[in-house]
Amino acid sequence: MEWFWPEGFYTIVMVGVFAVASFAFKQPIAVALAIAAIIGALVSGNGVPIDHLIEGSFGYLDTILIIFCAMIFMKTVQHIGLMESVAAWMIRKFRVLPFRLTMGITVLLMIPGMITGSSSAAVLTAGAIVTPTLLKLGVPPVKAAAAIALAAIYGMIAPPINIPAMIIGGGIDMPYVGFGIPLLICTVPLAIFTGMLLIFPSLKQHAAEVGPGTDDSELEEELTRMSRVPLTVRLMLPFFVLVVLLGGERLFPQYAPSLGMPLAFLLAAASGLLVGRDWKPFEAATEAIQAALPVAGILVGVGMFIQIMTMTGVRGFFVVSALALPAWLLYVGIATSLPLFGAVSAYGSATVLGVPFLLALLGRDEIVVGAALSLIAGLGDLMPPTALAGLFAAQVVGVKNYFSVLKVCLLPAVVTAIWGIMIILGANWL
Amino acid sequence: MFEKRYLGSRFTASLMLVAAIAITAVSGLSYMKMREPGPDIDRVVPHAGFEHKRLSDWFEGLAGTPADTDIYVQEGAEPGGTVLILGGTHANEPAGVIAAVVMLEQADVKRGRLMIAPYANPMARTHTFPQDAHPQTFSFRTPNGVTRAFRYGARITNPVNEWPNPDIYIHPESGQTMAGIERSNLNRAHPGVADGGATERLAYGFMELIKQEKVDLAIDLHEASPEYPVVDALVAHERAMELAAMVTMELEFEGVPIRLEPSPKNLRGLNHREWGDNADVLAVLLETCNASAGRFRGRTDEALILTGEDKAYEKAAGLGRLYVPWESFDKRFEERVARHVTTVRLLADNLEFVREGKGVTVEGLPAYQELSDLGVGAFLSD
Amino acid sequence: MILTWIYWAICLFMVILVLRSLYREKSLREQWVAAMVLVPLLLRVLMIK
Ligand SMILES: [Zn+2]
Repeated sequence: MEWFWPEGFYTIVMVGVFAVASFAFKQPIAVALAIAAIIGALVSGNGVPIDHLIEGSFGYLDTILIIFCAMIFMKTVQHIGLMESVAAWMIRKFRVLPFRLTMGITVLLMIPGMITGSSSAAVLTAGAIVTPTLLKLGVPPVKAAAAIALAAIYGMIAPPINIPAMIIGGGIDMPYVGFGIPLLICTVPLAIFTGMLLIFPSLKQHAAEVGPGTDDSELEEELTRMSRVPLTVRLMLPFFVLVVLLGGERLFPQYAPSLGMPLAFLLAAASGLLVGRDWKPFEAATEAIQAALPVAGILVGVGMFIQIMTMTGVRGFFVVSALALPAWLLYVGIATSLPLFGAVSAYGSATVLGVPFLLALLGRDEIVVGAALSLIAGLGDLMPPTALAGLFAAQVVGVKNYFSVLKVCLLPAVVTAIWGIMIILGANWL
Repeated sequence: MFEKRYLGSRFTASLMLVAAIAITAVSGLSYMKMREPGPDIDRVVPHAGFEHKRLSDWFEGLAGTPADTDIYVQEGAEPGGTVLILGGTHANEPAGVIAAVVMLEQADVKRGRLMIAPYANPMARTHTFPQDAHPQTFSFRTPNGVTRAFRYGARITNPVNEWPNPDIYIHPESGQTMAGIERSNLNRAHPGVADGGATERLAYGFMELIKQEKVDLAIDLHEASPEYPVVDALVAHERAMELAAMVTMELEFEGVPIRLEPSPKNLRGLNHREWGDNADVLAVLLETCNASAGRFRGRTDEALILTGEDKAYEKAAGLGRLYVPWESFDKRFEERVARHVTTVRLLADNLEFVREGKGVTVEGLPAYQELSDLGVGAFLSD
Repeated sequence: MILTWIYWAICLFMVILVLRSLYREKSLREQWVAAMVLVPLLLRVLMIK
């Protein structure tokens, strides 16, 4: 009781207010988090500390700039027709080779998440582009939504950009360096597994039905529409610019200029201006910010929430409670609480729980453990009410009831959590 | 979840904008107060004999910039060596700052020269760090009932003075890579760069001071979190090891046990490491125990800063997560300041034994027990 | 430093884009979100925090 009171009570109040605001009053997650933070401050006798609330959100200002600029880049790539062209090329080439097509689509779904570190960005760009083809190739909508959501999450976790891993590492002053290989080990097998489970069977059946030589005029029409911008080297320019700027800074930090991710994304997007096709850059940028605002808002809200958790002692209560778990329960705790806290947000889960779990696991390879924890935290993007990846995917595919999608996600999600725990257990061996 | 009520209009958007501007104004005023806190906050009353200088007196590049900071110099009647004390290299380690202030207000130099920079990184004092929820100030009372308030800052320079940081910071001198944020950490920016970032320039200023004034002993006052192994420690550059070992023994006699740690040679950019490597100075770093900046801490407020009592740390200690015996451990602010002041006094006292003719004698500094018993306020002027 | 000014300009650009989004948004609730995101961006553009 002494341990529980009053921090445990504040915890219940803050989480409870968040749940009520987002479920019962259907407030956006960002607003629900802000309300929960304000009530938490009030209940603990701190009034409404506006300066503290806003200060908390500054913890993610740089991250918000990264997401905004990455989203502008993704919208550029979409507007100049690059993404559609690539998708059309791939489907044409591998239509009768269902395994390669499955892998190709999975990679395409992951790329925006890999670049932006946001599963929503992946769903809203690549997910939206691939959906019509997936459905035409005979993938059931519920499975298509689940595949898009999961691939987007694996993309968010895969390198080069993984924001939960940055957050977890930042908590113990560990730079975001050397995460590449561990994150690939975390994500690639799962992406293959999920693709084989959800997409491959339908594609295989489709390939068997159409067979080589026959044609499907409806699909052909769609492909023609998608590939109306020819896939040229010039069209690929924004990608090349991005790879050179980001890769250079990372691989040769001594020589390449340190521009930072936001500027690198903006410059890469600007190079899209040199590519043929008419498009309105300012419109595309505004569209990008509109699409990124819910995620940015969540980061602002999480920042406020965490500042108040720190102020009231809820954070220490959480951290030390996690440290107090016996070893076997620690792994169960990681596999369940990280995704469950994702109901607030995967980023919040990484901050509040990822850091203490990493501390509790000190002595194992910290980078590998941090990477695995970020993978499990990423599952939080399937957890309602936030369920960023899941809800957007259901919306993109046109499935009304998200829970039917969630049901399909369940098996891959459990496999993901188990894979994450296995990586933690084998961290030193890796 | 995606049903939207289309209640938003240009009018409501304008209302939102007004609300956002209002919140910006209210919080902005609070942040501005941290930058210009008024004459009563961070006020110091130097002991007679101290001369007020600025770091820009040694490195002109700092003049008129937010990186310029106060340096107080007192010279004794008898010639001797020079001791430099830095408080507030990390502005969120308050006992280091206040120990420097107490010495500034009490020191009476008889032999040699004493130089004190109580607020070594002034740009770290103008903000509190996001999600750390620290109070902006903490205060003490003098015997006459005057309140002396000081800012609780951050580990790093305010982003207003230095932003954005690179993804990866490359220590200019060694090429060692660190997290990008370390560029704004004075204790990673040494020996500094004359035309570099704000923090690198500040470090360059201290390096210049040490070289030009031929400082014999430089002491950097810090605090560490209870979950770190280096708590209540004296970390010595290899050339300062002999002096540090003497002082460790004397501290043991005085009932102030301390851990003696050799400074890792390959950990670059730290004040004492680069001072010792780049100048003929004996350089040490002192750590006491500060729960208010720790990761396991519970409720974060002024009481935590001053008492060090924390239930989350108590439980973490029970779980064997700490390196200090928490229950029996004295973590009060006055003990931490007393520890710093006593260690500094003994370092100065013993300087003569390792550098003949360079001894420094400082009188008036409160003894360990005295300061620990009477509290910090008793040794601050009105 | 030139990079500081570039990033200041990026922040200003984002403020403009968030404002455009705020005025385009038809849902009151989402307008709140835009307003929330606006505050830290404004404080950085004003070089206050
Ligand atoms: Zn320090």
